[in-house]
Amino acid sequence: MTRTKIVFMAHVVAIALHAQPPVAPTAESVGLPRGDNISGYNVRQSFELGYRWHTVGGDTGMYRSTVNYGNGPRLLSSSLSVNSLEGHGGYFDQIQLNTQGLGNDPYESASLRIEKNRLYRYDLSWRSDAYYNPGLTISGGEHFLDTVRHVQDHDLTLFPQGSFKIFLGYSGNTQTGPALTTIQQFDVRGDEYPLFADIRRSQHEYRLGAELNMMGFRLNVLHAWVDFKDDTPVSLPAPSPGNNPTDLNSLTSLQRSEPYHGTSPYWRVALFRENKLWAANGRFTYVAGHRAFVDDETAFGFNRVGTPTGTQIVTLGDAERPALAANFTFSLFPSAKLTLTNQTSVSNIRMVGNSYYTQVTNGVFATPFNPFTYLGILTIANSTDADLRLTKWFAVRAGYEYSTRRIRSIEGADITGVPTPPAARVPIEQENALNTGLLGVRIHPLKALSILLDTEIGRADHPIYPVSQRNYETYRGRIEYKLRSVRVAGYSRTDYNTNWASLANFASRSRQNGIDGSWLPKNWFSIDASYTKLHLDTLGAINYFAQLSNVGPLQQVTTDQSRYVSNIHSGNLSARVSIRQRVDFSVGYSLVQDVGDGRLAPLALPGLSLGAPQVSAFAAAQTFPLRYLSPQGRVSVRISEKIRWNAGYQYYGYHEDFSALQNYRAHTGYASVLWAF
Amino acid sequence: MRYSWGMLVGSVRAALGLFFLGLFFLASPALLAADYVGSNVCRTCHPNVFATFSRNPHYKSIASGKEKPENTGCESCHGPGQDHVNAGGGKATIPVAFSGLAPEKVLDACLRCHSQTVSRANIRRSEHTQRDIVCTNCHSIHSSPAPKFLLAKQQQRELCYECHASVRAQFSMPFKHRVNEGFMQCTDCHNPHGAFAATWNMAARPRMVDQAVGNEEPCLKCHIDKRGPFVYEHAAVRVDGCETCHNPHGSTNARLLKRPVTFTLCLECHNGLGNFGRRLDGPQNPSASHNLADPRYQNCTTCHVRIHGSNGSQLFFR
Repeated sequence: MTRTKIVFMAHVVAIALHAQPPVAPTAESVGLPRGDNISGYNVRQSFELGYRWHTVGGDTGMYRSTVNYGNGPRLLSSSLSVNSLEGHGGYFDQIQLNTQGLGNDPYESASLRIEKNRLYRYDLSWRSDAYYNPGLTISGGEHFLDTVRHVQDHDLTLFPQGSFKIFLGYSGNTQTGPALTTIQQFDVRGDEYPLFADIRRSQHEYRLGAELNMMGFRLNVLHAWVDFKDDTPVSLPAPSPGNNPTDLNSLTSLQRSEPYHGTSPYWRVALFRENKLWAANGRFTYVAGHRAFVDDETAFGFNRVGTPTGTQIVTLGDAERPALAANFTFSLFPSAKLTLTNQTSVSNIRMVGNSYYTQVTNGVFATPFNPFTYLGILTIANSTDADLRLTKWFAVRAGYEYSTRRIRSIEGADITGVPTPPAARVPIEQENALNTGLLGVRIHPLKALSILLDTEIGRADHPIYPVSQRNYETYRGRIEYKLRSVRVAGYSRTDYNTNWASLANFASRSRQNGIDGSWLPKNWFSIDASYTKLHLDTLGAINYFAQLSNVGPLQQVTTDQSRYVSNIHSGNLSARVSIRQRVDFSVGYSLVQDVGDGRLAPLALPGLSLGAPQVSAFAAAQTFPLRYLSPQGRVSVRISEKIRWNAGYQYYGYHEDFSALQNYRAHTGYASVLWAF
Repeated sequence: MRYSWGMLVGSVRAALGLFFLGLFFLASPALLAADYVGSNVCRTCHPNVFATFSRNPHYKSIASGKEKPENTGCESCHGPGQDHVNAGGGKATIPVAFSGLAPEKVLDACLRCHSQTVSRANIRRSEHTQRDIVCTNCHSIHSSPAPKFLLAKQQQRELCYECHASVRAQFSMPFKHRVNEGFMQCTDCHNPHGAFAATWNMAARPRMVDQAVGNEEPCLKCHIDKRGPFVYEHAAVRVDGCETCHNPHGSTNARLLKRPVTFTLCLECHNGLGNFGRRLDGPQNPSASHNLADPRYQNCTTCHVRIHGSNGSQLFFR
C-alpha cells in the first residue's frame, strides 16, 4: 500500500465512524495536509467559511432549546498548526489553534496550545454557549432562560519535561442574560408571580502549583483561589394578578437585590511512586468554601382577602463549607498475570450556615430570627480489586468495596428573646453502610473477538432517600468483533434497585440493549449504524393531598403510587461515498422515539390502574411518548488541491404524542468553502 | 621485597578499574548502547512514520538530544532496534511491537514514562484497564488525526461512542449536554484513565466521573450558582448528587430531569414515609394546603424556586 493510500485510509477511518453531530462544520478535509515549510517550521492552516440558515415551523422556543442554530455567516471551523521541524524553534516549537462556530453560532469554541520544548507549555480553552430554555413543562414557561455562558481555562506549565515543574492557571466562568423566575406572595395561601431576572454571575479561579520529581517520588502541590459573585437583580416588570387570576391576590411592585459573594480557596497535595513490583499514590485536598449574602426584598400588592399589603424582607448572613478529601491507592504486581489494587478514601464535607431574617409587613415588625443549619457528610470507603490474567484469552477480575457514610444534620433557629433549648443544636445522626461485590470475566477466543461479562451487587442498610440505591444489582455483557474494515458490537446492561421502609417501596428496573457496527469495505465507501433500546420502569409510593371530587375538602391520598415507564428506541445511520476523491456524499439519520408504555391517550391504560384514588395528572405523568428525528445530507466537492465547496441540509422534527404545544419542524442548512494550505 | 606507597595506590586503582570494567560487562545486554541504533536508522525504512513525526509530542525526546538511547525516539517505545536492523526488518524482531502486545504490556510500556500524574493516579484500578481498554485503544501514536492528545479519532466523542453506544443514544436526545455540537467533551466530566472515589453517593458509584478540584461533582465546574454553600441546603444534592433528579447525558425531559413533570419527581422522595431524609422522619410530603389535583400545585418549583439551595428560606422560596 502506498503512503498516500495509508494516510488516506487513516483519514477516512477517522471521519467515517461518527455519531450524528450537526451537519456543519464539514468533516471532510481538502486533501493530505502536508503544509509548507517556512523558516524551520511546518505550517498548516484551514478555514471553513460559510453561511447557515434555518426555518422553523411550530414552537420556536423548543427549537431554540434543543437545537438553536440561527442564520448568518460563520467561520464554521478553522485550524492552524505550526511545528518546528527540528524541535529547536526560537520562541516556540508548536502552535496548535482550533476554532469552531465563531461568528454567532450558539456553540463556539477555541483551543490553543503553544509550546517550547523543555521550557513552557501554554493551553487555552475558550467556549461559549447560548442557552435558551422556555421551561414550559416544568414551570409553565415561567422559568425561562436566555443566557450566554463563557468558559475559559488557561494553563501555563514551566519546564514541562523537567524534574521540577511550575503550574500557573486561570479559569473564568460567566453567565449573563435575561431570565424569568417566580415568587410566591404574600403567605402560603397566596399566589405566584413571574419576575424578571437579569442574570449576572461569574467565577474566577487562579491556580499556582509545582511538581518535584526526586528519588523516584513525585510530589505535586497546587493551591488555588476561587472567587464567586452573583449580582442578579430581580424585579416585577408590571403589576400582575398572579397565576390564579380569580383570587384576590395581586402584586403591584417588587424589587429584590441579593448580592451573593464568596471564596473557595483550596489546596491539593499528591504523592506518587511506581516501580515494577508496586505503585502507590496519595492525594489530599482541602477546600474552604465561604459565602456571604444579603437579600433585600420589597413587595407591594393585595393579599388573599384583598387587603393592601406591603412587605419588606431582609436576610443576611454567611455560610461555610469546608470540604476535605483524601485518597490512598496501593497497587501490587506480584506476577505479570496478577494485579492487586486497594484504595482508601475519606471525604468530609460540612455545611454550616447562619443568617439573620427580619420581615416587616404593613409596618409591623415580625419577630426576627436567626436560622442556623448544619449538614455534615463523612464518607469512608475501602475497595480492593484483583485482576488475574489466567491465559492469553481468559482473564477474571473481582472486587469488594465497603463504604460507610455518616450524616449529621441540624436545622433550627434562634428567635429573639426566646433562648433555643440546647437539644435543638444536637445533631441528628444517621449512618449508612454499603457492601459491594464485583465479578467479571474477559474472554478473547480470537484476536478480533472480545467478550466482557460482569456483575455488581450492592447492599446498603440505610439509604437517605426512597430513590437512593439500597439493594442493587447490575449485569453487563458486551461482545465485539473488530477487524480493520469491519466492526460489530452488541451489549446489554440491566440495573435493578429496590428500596423500602415499613410498607413503602421504591423499585426501579432499567435495561439497555444495543447493537452497533461500522463497515469500511473500500476507502471510498463507509457505513455506520447503531440501535439502542433504553427501558426504564419505576414504581414508588407517594403521599399527597388532592381534591378528588368537584366539591368537598382535600383528601389525603396515601395509597397511590408513582409509576413511570419509558421505552426509548434510538437509532443512528450514516453513510459516506467518495467519487474519485473529488466529490463526497454523506447522509445520516438519527431517531429517538419513546413509545412509553404503549398507551394511545394520556390517561392510563385499562388494567394498569392500581386501585387507588388517583389524580388524572398522575396517570398522565406515567409515561411521555415522543419522537425526535434528524436526517441530514451533505455534499462536498473538491475544487482544487486547496479548496473544497460544501453544502448540507439537516432536518429536525420534535413531536410529543399527547400534546402539540411544543412540537416543531426545523429545516437547517449551510453552504461553505473550505480552504486549506 | 619492598612495597612502595606508589605501588599500593596503583594496585588499588587497578582493582577499582577492573571492578567497574566488570560491572560494565555484567550489565544487561539490552541496556548496551550498542543495541540502540538511533531513530535516523529507523527513518531509512520507515519514512512514512517519520514524515510527520516532528509534529508528534514524542519527537521531543529526539529534539532534546540529551536523553539516554532507551528514552529517545522510536526505540524509547519499541526497544533497541539492532536485531530488527540485522534481520532486515520484520515484526518478529521488534522488541516491543504494540500490535501484538497483551493489553497489560501496552499499559506497562506507556506508563514507563506516563505514570505518576494526578490525572492517571487511578489507571491501575480504572474500569477501562479492568476491561482491557488500554492506551492504544484510544491513542494512535503514528497516525493520529488529533495532534494534541494523539487521539485515534478526530473527535474525542467518536472514540467514546465506539464502546458506549448507549451514551451516544443519550446525547442524541432532544435535551442533552452539547457534546455532539462540540461545546463539551466527555473528559469535561469523566477521567478515562480512572477517577478517585466519588465524594457523593457512598463513594462507590460512579467510578469514572472526575471531580472538580474542590472535591465536588464535575457539574459544578460550569453550574457555579448551584455550588453553594447555602444556609439551607437541599440535602439530596449534596448527599446523593445531581443524578438524584437529573440524567446528566441526555433526556427526553426538559432540564435533563428524570421525569417529564416535577411533581412526580419530588413526590417520589417527599412522601413522608419511613425513616428516610436528613431528619429521619421521611422527607416531608406536601401539606394539606397543596391540592395536587390543581395544576398550580403540580409545578413544585414555581414556588420552591431555589430548589438547589437557599439562603433565605428553609422551603426554598427565595
